[in-house]
Amino acid sequence: MKKKILLLLVAFVATSTIAFAQGRNGLKINEVMVENNNSVVDDYGMRPAWIELYNSTHASMEISSVYLTNEKNDPTKYPVPLGDVKTNIPPLQHVLFWADNEPNKGTFHLSFNIAPGDTIYVFDADMETMIDSVVIPKELGANQSYARTEDGAGEWKIRTGSEDIENDYITPSSNNIIKDTNEKVEMFRKLDKNGVVLTIMAMAIVFGALLVLSICFYVISKVGEKVSKINKSKSHGVEPKTIANTDLPTGDSGEEIAAIVMALHEHLNAHDQESTILTINKVKRAYSPWSSKIYGLRELPRK
Amino acid sequence: MNLSEFMSGNLQTFWEMTGFHNATWEHFVMLVVGLFFLWLAIKKNFEPMLLVPIGFGILIGNIPFSAGMEVGIYEEGTVLNILYNGVSAGWYPPLIFLGIGAMTDFTALIANPKLMLVGAAAQFGIFGAYMVALAIGFAPDQAGAIAIIGGADGPTAIFLSSKLAPNLMGAIAVSAYSYMALVPVIQPPIMRLFTTKKERLIKMKPARAVSQNEKIIFPIVGLLLTCFVVPTALPLLGMLFFGNLLRECGVTTRLAKTASNAMTDIVTILLGMTVGASTQASEFLTLETIGIFFLGFMAFVIASSSGVLFVKLFNLVLPKEKKLNPLIGNAGVSAVPMAARISNNLGLESDASNYLLMHAMGPNVAGVIGSAVAAGVLLSFLG
Repeated sequence: MKKKILLLLVAFVATSTIAFAQGRNGLKINEVMVENNNSVVDDYGMRPAWIELYNSTHASMEISSVYLTNEKNDPTKYPVPLGDVKTNIPPLQHVLFWADNEPNKGTFHLSFNIAPGDTIYVFDADMETMIDSVVIPKELGANQSYARTEDGAGEWKIRTGSEDIENDYITPSSNNIIKDTNEKVEMFRKLDKNGVVLTIMAMAIVFGALLVLSICFYVISKVGEKVSKINKSKSHGVEPKTIANTDLPTGDSGEEIAAIVMALHEHLNAHDQESTILTINKVKRAYSPWSSKIYGLRELPRK
Repeated sequence: MNLSEFMSGNLQTFWEMTGFHNATWEHFVMLVVGLFFLWLAIKKNFEPMLLVPIGFGILIGNIPFSAGMEVGIYEEGTVLNILYNGVSAGWYPPLIFLGIGAMTDFTALIANPKLMLVGAAAQFGIFGAYMVALAIGFAPDQAGAIAIIGGADGPTAIFLSSKLAPNLMGAIAVSAYSYMALVPVIQPPIMRLFTTKKERLIKMKPARAVSQNEKIIFPIVGLLLTCFVVPTALPLLGMLFFGNLLRECGVTTRLAKTASNAMTDIVTILLGMTVGASTQASEFLTLETIGIFFLGFMAFVIASSSGVLFVKLFNLVLPKEKKLNPLIGNAGVSAVPMAARISNNLGLESDASNYLLMHAMGPNVAGVIGSAVAAGVLLSFLG
């Protein structure tokens, strides 16, 4: 009975973990443009408003059956259709929805328009769980976007597309922060030209990790000795202090085993293939119904 | 078009597809390299399990053909390309680590935990080589990928280079495995150079017996401690300790046997063959490759020296009866069990009754953990 309860518990934990892992909490509204006069065009050559969604997880995310809306009381305003392969967003990638109130134009054309001051919501397939939302500022002008400072995270900021301001470019279907180099590598290239800093840090970590491990096993061996003493004292009915370390059970000593093996080797001249390895394996005949002879034989007909 | 023109046209097309038409001198150089590896493995018995698949893989990878025939290892969807995915996506090395874990007996290390520090010291070979690589002019991420050769651990080298410098992976893997095969040639002179006759005669106390419980606790605690420090090494260390738990827990003997025998053999064959095949002449025969081989050698020399010197330094603070024989220092590189065998052989050379094998296995297996941790650290800093 206890086993069954334990199994049920394990199954519950496993399924809830999987369900949690498959959640779409990583879907984020990443950038929005309301009045589009000179930004990106859709597949019909038009320039509607757009909403960029970002998969901030490191796994592909299928967003069909997710809902987009600009009214909290009407969460199912635009269901992302099923059956379009493009609704599967690769890890850390984007997808662009056109807010043109023309859903007949295709999967990515929403059934509503957006305006400054609106709130955009993304609801999960259960129509209740709000995955993300953003309030478009009223002061958002033409050809300006409202974007996160980092993809899928960070503060929201109005971007004008000015080249004079750092990170002010408008980036539909692209990362909000465009990286052309590996920052970590560049940092080491600039600040640690001869590699001494990395060497010191890395060796400290390697030494630290193995030192902690060795201390840990030193402590475990001492605890093991104490437990052995206590067990022995209990079985002999004496005080643990009266038992010397040499009286403790030591288990199989490698040297004793080696001596026995060498003796057997000398005596029987038995050897395995590799010239430097001597082995003694315990012969086990573990029972299994798969290997049982009984199941492999037919019963003799009874007379 | 008459029949003769038709036939000659087809024969011309066929000729253009043959290896003879597409061969360059670089192909022949690589074929000679492949044959040399096979000779080393078969005739000289240098790490045959590794060098036979790699050597033959070099032959496979350097058969000349015209691009677009969908046979090359770098052409998407080809058989070789599918097999190569285990290398390029980095999932062969963790499987090898699973097998290593299932094969390795950590008793020597658990019995004498301070030997872990010797394994840690030998990792200086990696970072020493990193500094040399930077001085030569490699970028930090490339230098990190090359330097890991100093860990003397082929799977780790492949794993890290596939993340930090995929374009150099073939050269790094071949260099790592070549030097691992040459450990018996490289290490003894260094060990003799840095030790005195008196030091080589030090007899170490026999290791204490280790209980079954300690052996079971080791992989669990080892995983938790090391991977909390460097989660980037999780694929390697996770599989290593998992394999070891299969071996030691006593209830999964069948799984441990499969992991250490059949599975490791299969992955070794595929890994070696595809690494060899990835060394196509156009990618391999460059000045960078020469630099990588030079740095690999430097890494091995520095790693072996630092292990031996660390033991000598460590002896200064250890009581007389607990002194370590510096000959076990070289075993801090994770060429298991070759490096430990060399410690034993040199110990026996000085004193025919001084068996160091079990003592050297401690730093040797600590080196496996240490090099995986070092790879994780490099990946965290430069990845």
